[in-house]
Amino acid sequence: MEQFNNRNVAEGGYYLVDIEDYPTDGWGKFKRVVKRSFKGELFVGLWVVLREMIRFDIHTISYPEEKMPIGPRYRAIHEMKRLWESDTERCIGCGLCEKICISDCIRMDTKIDEESRKEVSEYTINLGRCIFCGYCAEVCPELAITHGGEYENASDQREHFVEYADMLTPLDTMKANAQKEFDGFGAITPHEDERVKKTPLSY
Amino acid sequence: MSKIINFKIDGQTVEAQKGETILQVARKNDIYIPTMCYIEKTSACASCRMCVVEAEGVDGFVLSCNTPPTEGIEITTNTVALEEERVNIMKLYDVNHPLECGVCDKSGECDLQNKTLEFNVGQQNFSAKDQQRKIEHWGLINYDPSLCIMCEKCTHVCNEVIGDDAIDVKFGGYGSTIIPKNAETLDCTFCGECIAVCPVGALVSSDFQYSANAWELSRIPSTCAHCSAGCSLEYETRHHGINTESTIHRVKNNFEFTSLCGAGRFGFDFQNKSVSDNAAFDKAVEALKNANAIRFSSIITNEEAQILQLLKEKLDVKLFNEDARKFSEFMKAYSSVSGKKHHSGSLDAIKQADGIIIIGSRIATDNPGVRYAMTTASRHNGAKIVYAHPIEDVLMQNTVTQFMKYEAGSEEGVLALLANTLLKNADVDEATRAFLDDLDLGYIEAESNVGEDELLNITKTFARTQNRVLIIGSDVFAHESAQNIAKLAATIEKYTDFSLVIIPQEVNTLGVSLICDLDIDENISNVVGYNADGDFIISALEDANLSVGALNQQEGTVVSIDNRLLPLNVAVEFKGTNLNEIVKRVGLEKENTVDYTEVLPSSSGFQAVNFDSLENFLDKYGNDTRGYILDEVETLVDGTLTAVADLAEFNGTVIYHSNPVLQFNSFTNTTKQLERDTTLRGSAQFSAAAKIVDGEKIEISFGTSTITRVFKLDPELKGTVALNPTFDINVAANEYKFLKSKIVRTI
Repeated sequence: MEQFNNRNVAEGGYYLVDIEDYPTDGWGKFKRVVKRSFKGELFVGLWVVLREMIRFDIHTISYPEEKMPIGPRYRAIHEMKRLWESDTERCIGCGLCEKICISDCIRMDTKIDEESRKEVSEYTINLGRCIFCGYCAEVCPELAITHGGEYENASDQREHFVEYADMLTPLDTMKANAQKEFDGFGAITPHEDERVKKTPLSY
Repeated sequence: MSKIINFKIDGQTVEAQKGETILQVARKNDIYIPTMCYIEKTSACASCRMCVVEAEGVDGFVLSCNTPPTEGIEITTNTVALEEERVNIMKLYDVNHPLECGVCDKSGECDLQNKTLEFNVGQQNFSAKDQQRKIEHWGLINYDPSLCIMCEKCTHVCNEVIGDDAIDVKFGGYGSTIIPKNAETLDCTFCGECIAVCPVGALVSSDFQYSANAWELSRIPSTCAHCSAGCSLEYETRHHGINTESTIHRVKNNFEFTSLCGAGRFGFDFQNKSVSDNAAFDKAVEALKNANAIRFSSIITNEEAQILQLLKEKLDVKLFNEDARKFSEFMKAYSSVSGKKHHSGSLDAIKQADGIIIIGSRIATDNPGVRYAMTTASRHNGAKIVYAHPIEDVLMQNTVTQFMKYEAGSEEGVLALLANTLLKNADVDEATRAFLDDLDLGYIEAESNVGEDELLNITKTFARTQNRVLIIGSDVFAHESAQNIAKLAATIEKYTDFSLVIIPQEVNTLGVSLICDLDIDENISNVVGYNADGDFIISALEDANLSVGALNQQEGTVVSIDNRLLPLNVAVEFKGTNLNEIVKRVGLEKENTVDYTEVLPSSSGFQAVNFDSLENFLDKYGNDTRGYILDEVETLVDGTLTAVADLAEFNGTVIYHSNPVLQFNSFTNTTKQLERDTTLRGSAQFSAAAKIVDGEKIEISFGTSTITRVFKLDPELKGTVALNPTFDINVAANEYKFLKSKIVRTI
């Protein structure tokens, strides 16, 4: 922190850039225009491009074939995670995400299934309204709904929905042990294991 | 001995009526004592022991829920020791309680959760080996024993208020559960009251289970629209599925003080799903303009009745509603003797009664509200209940102390006999005395099959009762001598301390009869039907020429059995028009239907109260603040009793119009959850008389109608009368409910 606390900019290798004074009279301005026009600065830039082209040292990314890696805490389109132990869905249908959503874009319907458990029968997020605030991921008690890195959600209509099945981790991803946990908003903090208390008996 | 006991709770001087417990007094005075199992409308369960208090000079703790105070005692509700006791109780409740609050149907409305947090239970010192417990599916009700905390509220309500006595506690220490009483599966009237009182998510509605959370539902206070008991309820609505309109998800009631039957609780989806279009609307206006008469049912609001009455005056049409007309004539005859327009009793009077006579109704299915009031009276006051009816009812056998069977059609005679018994020593006027002296007791007793000893028994058992109620059911309205029956009932009410309750047939029969001036139904052309048959039908049911909203889709008021005007609210949106929109085109001018609430006729006891200023809730002490009670209206006393004519005889295969449990009318018939039993139910004796066997398809002819039904042999029934449901057919309301019929087998 020490280096940041030092606000004295005169130290630490700062120096003034040598900039000519701006011309004040008409003659001076005319001279500057002529000088800039005929100096050939344009070719300096063109030379850099030509040089890099010959060297094949290209820094641009050819999107959409190539994509930048995205930070693990980036909040893009939601994902529905599965349990590592059983590959079943984590979502218990508690409805908290629907309740907390401030742009009111989550809608879910639940029902009782054959095994008398709560089952999510319908689940949609209206991406046209979602502001990607991350409250749903934060409130989720099961770490079931999280944000993912998928940010491409351009659509030809305002009401663009994403459904439960689209968000759910595919089973072959689970089989390949490739489900990625979300590190961002709402995720468990490191060393959570040590802080977990046993329930329900006294400790 | 004075009836008022003065004592102190937490230093505050309070007074108790005789019979009140410490907890009741504390609640009345807004002093908080936590409870888990206490429920105001039943006797104390005393299973939770949360309500313990300390009493000065008494060792140990006292259960405040079942201990009456003594004069001058000082009660402390909150000490360190009490707090510790309560925390320990909460910990015991929490032992192995599944941590599935996230999916539980209670979704935060949970007493266990509230109290656990209230007592700050942060850790658990107790443990028990958990057991495998199976989730039970009992039709409309699901039971999860692992969530159950054994507070026993459900069993108490089922036994003491409903009277089904269908569930019981299976004792077994930690393994205790709730089980169906003496049966494999739950066999009851499915009132769902056990669901309502369950403080945790153990007993839940199978239809509602896991479909919504409490916080997502909007609550709409309203009144049940199925029978005349006018029970208060709240519709809870929410969108169904993605991107759809909101629908009713469940119905809740203030279970602490009131009850609701299964039709109210599970039969909520009777809304009109169709929409009305403009072409039909224009046709309806045209039909009304050309109408000679409007035929309507009593399942409408007071405001609609008022509109129809105004239409009658404006367009000079006739109004047909046989159900309300019969009732209105009955009440007129009653008024001509009693000198007032409304009967004196109410459901509360029945609840507080210790002597009840009910005649002319199969009450458990006709009006569950009255049945529950009678059950409460029976369990809490040890009420003597005389149930007079031609058919015995198994549902009532735990409640009724004396079943008095009379022959169908002899109600007039029975009531005359009752009057003779009850007025023996009363100071009656000369005409009445002459009437009583002239009674041919021998003939009436023989024809009605009511024995002298039965009447003597009534005299004996009612001798020591103080709060007595006479209940007259809807069987008698269409009786040949209905007028005389009404006068007899009025005479009994007038000269004895009996209060009188008359049970209207439909939800707003009473209101319609007070508002509309009805004509005798006749077969003429150009009849507009409003929720009833006609040449042009405006209805909330299917097969309507123009659809209008059902009673859960409109604002309005109805008049209940208590003579109380009760508000209804919109729970589900109806996409279309209503009666007021149509009559605006015919020349009536009010903007909204509820504008008519304040102009309901004061000559019938209505007050000039604006609809929006009507309250619809019970306060925290259980006082009913809903709507208002109609003002008493005095009438001319000019009626005299006429001599009892020859009693009608009903021989052969007699059927009785009586709906199965939870079914009332064509609106309950459209609901999803309520069972639709359309069979003709009869005893073995009936089956022998009609020469039909169980499961046979038959054709029944009575009056002018012929219907086909399947016969079901009901081993619980006795006698020669079979029960014919009416919720799925149109029956003439001006016909007596017992009918001679012809039954043929069809192949």
